[in-house]
Amino acid sequence: MKTLLAWLLWLWIALVIWAAFFYAPGAAENFQVPTSYRILFFHVPMAWASFAGFIGSAVWSVLYLRSRNPRHDLAAAAAIQLGLLFGVLATVTGAVWARIEWGLYWNWDPRQTSLLVSLLFYGAYLALRGAVDDPEKRARLAAAYAILGLVVTPFLYWIVPRITFSLHPEPVVNAEGKSQMSSDISRVLLASSVGFTALFFWMHNLQTRLLVLAERKSAGGDQGYGA
Amino acid sequence: MELSGANTGVVVVNLIIWTGIFLWLLRLNKQLRDMEKKP
Repeated sequence: MKTLLAWLLWLWIALVIWAAFFYAPGAAENFQVPTSYRILFFHVPMAWASFAGFIGSAVWSVLYLRSRNPRHDLAAAAAIQLGLLFGVLATVTGAVWARIEWGLYWNWDPRQTSLLVSLLFYGAYLALRGAVDDPEKRARLAAAYAILGLVVTPFLYWIVPRITFSLHPEPVVNAEGKSQMSSDISRVLLASSVGFTALFFWMHNLQTRLLVLAERKSAGGDQGYGA
Repeated sequence: MELSGANTGVVVVNLIIWTGIFLWLLRLNKQLRDMEKKP
């Protein structure tokens, strides 16, 4: 059953790839290279998946503080690791597009900068985990830090790019927070976001199980890591 | 090269990359299941 779901995900994202190039309109107006807009179908869902990971880490951290189940702590760590992975991919794809449209890979655009600050913030989370040896103390401190992200992440992802001037395309990012894209583009973007979100949760499941196994091995027993 | 021809090439490369990542994740899932069964 789970394998069937995985293959459905393969099919879904394969269809998104096809739709991004053959279903979505051929060219967008007001772009230096009109077809370059297609990167949107991968760049935005990656940024969204990183946001989901950072917010998810706070949720798992709250669960850890309530239950003291170490599996929740590892789920929070896995969410941040994957949030960083998707965040870096969103930054790189954004930089490639920026080189084509704005002439430079890096422009200190508020959205570029706020994503970079998010990556630094959560990079520090991993440094914090690496600096504390006692597993319980590490889990408590890391949980508190990840919960702080509930304030930091929405501010950096949603508020900063909307209260400052941004080079980002107006139909995607604007002060009103409304999408002004054509319905064909919106449909593909939505399908891609759903696919990337599912991919994120599948990868999160694998990464958490990997961390649990690694922790069990280093602790030399189950130590309460059961589901 | 025509645009549709260029698009086909990009789609094929994307599908190969996505299938590779997908099969790798599927294999990792199986390996994890086997390791979890071990006492």
